[in-house]
Amino acid sequence: MLSKTFTLKIAGPAGLGIKSGGQLLSKILIESGYSVTDYNEYPSLVRGGHNAYQITFSNTKAFAPHYNVDAFFAMTPGHWKTHVSEFTKNTLIFVDEDPKTLNLKKGKVLNLPLKELSTKLGSNLVANTISIGVAAYIFNLDLKIVKKLVAATYAKASDLNLTAVETGYEFAKDNFSKYRFKVAKGKKQKSPELYDGNEAFGWGFIQGGGNFYAAYPMTPATGTLHFLATKQKEYKLTVVHPEDEISAANMTAGAAFAGARAATGTSGGGFALMNEAVSLCGVTEIGMVYYLVSRPGPATGLPTWTAQGDLLHAIYSGHGEFPKVVIAPGDLDESFEMGAESLNLAAELQTPVIVVSDKFVGESSSNTKDLSKAKVKVKLGNIVDKADAGFKRYSLKTKTGVSPVSIPGTPNGEFLSNSYEHDEFGFSTEDANLSQEMFDKRAKKIQTAIKLAPKPILYGSDKAKKLIISWGSTKGVILEALKMMENEEDFAYLHIKTLWPINPELETITKAFKEIIVIENNGFSQLVTLLKSQFNFNPTEIITKNNGRPFFPEEIYAKLK
Amino acid sequence: MPNLNNYRSTVTPTWCPGCYNYMVFAGLQAAFSALNIPKHKLVINYDIGCAGNMADFLNTYGAHTLHGRSICMAMGEKLVNPDLTVCVIGGDGGIYGEGLNHLIAAARANTDIKVFVSNNYLYSLTTGQTSPTTPKGSKTKSTPNGNLNEPIDAIKLIENINPHVFAKRVDGRNPLELNKSIKEAMEFKGFALIDIAQECIAFGKQLKS
Repeated sequence: MLSKTFTLKIAGPAGLGIKSGGQLLSKILIESGYSVTDYNEYPSLVRGGHNAYQITFSNTKAFAPHYNVDAFFAMTPGHWKTHVSEFTKNTLIFVDEDPKTLNLKKGKVLNLPLKELSTKLGSNLVANTISIGVAAYIFNLDLKIVKKLVAATYAKASDLNLTAVETGYEFAKDNFSKYRFKVAKGKKQKSPELYDGNEAFGWGFIQGGGNFYAAYPMTPATGTLHFLATKQKEYKLTVVHPEDEISAANMTAGAAFAGARAATGTSGGGFALMNEAVSLCGVTEIGMVYYLVSRPGPATGLPTWTAQGDLLHAIYSGHGEFPKVVIAPGDLDESFEMGAESLNLAAELQTPVIVVSDKFVGESSSNTKDLSKAKVKVKLGNIVDKADAGFKRYSLKTKTGVSPVSIPGTPNGEFLSNSYEHDEFGFSTEDANLSQEMFDKRAKKIQTAIKLAPKPILYGSDKAKKLIISWGSTKGVILEALKMMENEEDFAYLHIKTLWPINPELETITKAFKEIIVIENNGFSQLVTLLKSQFNFNPTEIITKNNGRPFFPEEIYAKLK
Repeated sequence: MPNLNNYRSTVTPTWCPGCYNYMVFAGLQAAFSALNIPKHKLVINYDIGCAGNMADFLNTYGAHTLHGRSICMAMGEKLVNPDLTVCVIGGDGGIYGEGLNHLIAAARANTDIKVFVSNNYLYSLTTGQTSPTTPKGSKTKSTPNGNLNEPIDAIKLIENINPHVFAKRVDGRNPLELNKSIKEAMEFKGFALIDIAQECIAFGKQLKS
C-alpha cells in the first residue's frame, strides 16, 4: 500500500531562506496535486539561531502537520540535533557532514554536501533550492512544475536557482536512488492557493468590507498588519501602526465610531493593554474587532511559539459587565470566515468582538481557494442614514438590545459616545433606574449574539461512544488523528467556534455522551472551566499541553486509541 | 452675532461657579460659529477630568473617552473621515500624563486635530493631586511633603518634536487672547495644541506660586 501522507522538514540558522524555500516547496507540492499544511518554528531573533519549516502533504486533505518526519534536511551541520525525537527508523536525514561521525541511531543518515555544491555554483544562498531539487527527486515530483515555480519565485536570480535545483536533483539521482519514496500521484487541487491564517484573516477582513486596521507589532499577530499594509492602496484601506496597543485599540474605536469597519490585532500582552478599550466599546456600544493571536505567556513568555492560554482572558476582558462576543478559528478557512464574520457581528451587535487565534493557526499555511476572489455576506447593522431632531442613539425601545446608530457627518444624528453611563442621547447619568435600564438594554445583546454567532460543529455521529470537545487550533490535529484511528466511528468531535456567549445547544449536545474528552493547548484547561461555569459539565478526560508546541496528530492518536 | 446656542446641549454645566473652563466653553463655541462649522461635521473628544466634563454641555458629535485616550480616538476619526472637524478637550492630567505618548505621536503625524488643554497644574476632578505640570516642591494631596518632579512644558516639548505644528500657550484668564488663539488653532491646517493656563479655584491655592 502506498503511504498517503508524507512529512518533510528543512532546518537551519535564520537567514538561509528556510521559510521562503519551504513555502516554495509547499507551492510546488500543491501544484503537483497535493494538499499541504505547514508548520514553522523559529526563535525570537533575526540572524542565526535555529529555524525549522515543516510540510505535511497528502493526496487527501492534510489537516495538520505530523510529528514524525519522512525526510529531513539540515542546511548546516548540527541542525538535526533538536529533531531526533521526530525521526523514525525510516526517516531520511540529509546532513552536510560525515554520517559516520554522527551519533545518530535512528533513521537513514545521508550525506548531502550542500556547502560544496553551492560553492561550485558560486553562491552560499542556494542550499535551500538544492534541497528542493533533492526533495523533488526523492518524492518523485515533476521537474517541470518545480522549475516553473522556482523561476517565478526567484525571478531576479532564476538561472542560478534553476541550476541549483538541477544540481540537487542530479545529485539525488546519482546517490539516493534506492531511497526514493513511493508517493501516490496527486490530482489537481481545487484549492490551489497557499495562505497562512493571518493572511486569511486579512482577506476575510477585506472581503467583509473592513477598511480600518490599526496594530502595534507583536508576534504572532504581526502577519496581518504586514499583509493589510500591502493591500492599502488596492482596497482603499487605512492601515496604521500607532505608538502602542492602547492607542491601536482606542484609535480603532474612534475609527469605528466615525463609520469604519474596523479591527485591531495583537497577542496576549498587547491585548492586556487593550482591555480598557474593550470595556469602552461595551458601554459606548462601538462595534469593533480585536484579533487576538495568542502565544504562550505569562508576560513576554515564548514569543514565537503557540498556546491557547488567552481564552478566559478574552472572555473576561474589560472591567465591568457588558456583552461581548468571542469566536475562535480552528483553521485557515475559518480564519478567513471570521475575518469577515467578526466585522458583521460587530456591526450588528454594536459591541466588541474578539477573535482568538494563535500562532499555530495564524502562522501556519495550507492550501485553499483564491481568497482574493472569495465573496462573503456584508452586514452593516442598524445604521441610520438620516435622523430627525431628538435622535436617540441609545434608544431603550429595542428587543435585540441594539439601538440605531448614526455616523458623524449625518445631520441631526449628533450624539455623545460616552464612557460614562448615559441616557438615550448619550449624556451622562447617575440615575438609578436609568442606569439599570441601560445595563439591561445592553445585556439583551447576549441573546441576540447567541442567535448570530457561529454555531458549533459536530463531526461524526451523535450515537458515537465518545465525544471529543475542543476549540480553535486543535481542530486540524484532532481531525488528522481521527483519520488515523482504526475505530474512527467510535468518536464524535465537537468543534466550538463561539466561546462567548455560550450557546445552550452545547449542553444538549454534550448530555448525549457518557464519555467526553476535552483537548486544549493550554495548561489549566480553560474551556472546561468555562463550560463548568455554564452547565453541569464533567468530562471524563482532559488532555492539555502547554510547552509552546502544538499537539501533533500522533500524540492525540496515542491518547485516544 | 454668532448663534452659540446652536452647539449647546440642554444640560446645565456642572463646573464650579467661576471656573475658567466656562471661558474655554464660550471660546470654542464662538470659534465654531465664526468658522461656520455645522455641528454634524464636528466631532469633539473629551478626556476624563473637569475640562472633559464639557462633553454633556455641547450637542455635536462627541466621544467622552477613556482617561488619556481622547487623542487616540480623535486620530481614528480624522483618518476615517478627513471631512470632519475633530477636536480634543482635556486637562494636564489626561493629555500630558496618562496620554502623553499619544500627544507626541499626534504631533509627529501632524494630523489635523485640535487639542485644547485646560492646564490647571493639578488633578482637580479627583480633588487635587499632583499633575505633570505641577511646580516642583508643591504640596498636594498625593505629595504632602512636596512634589519631587520637574514639571513638563508641553509647548516646548511639542515644538521640539515637530516645529511644523501649531503649539501655543495662552493665559486662560484673558478671554480675548483665548478666543483669538482657539480660532487660530481651528484655522490652522494641521495639528494644533493650545495649552490654556488656568488656576483651579477649588484646589489651586495649595500650589506654590
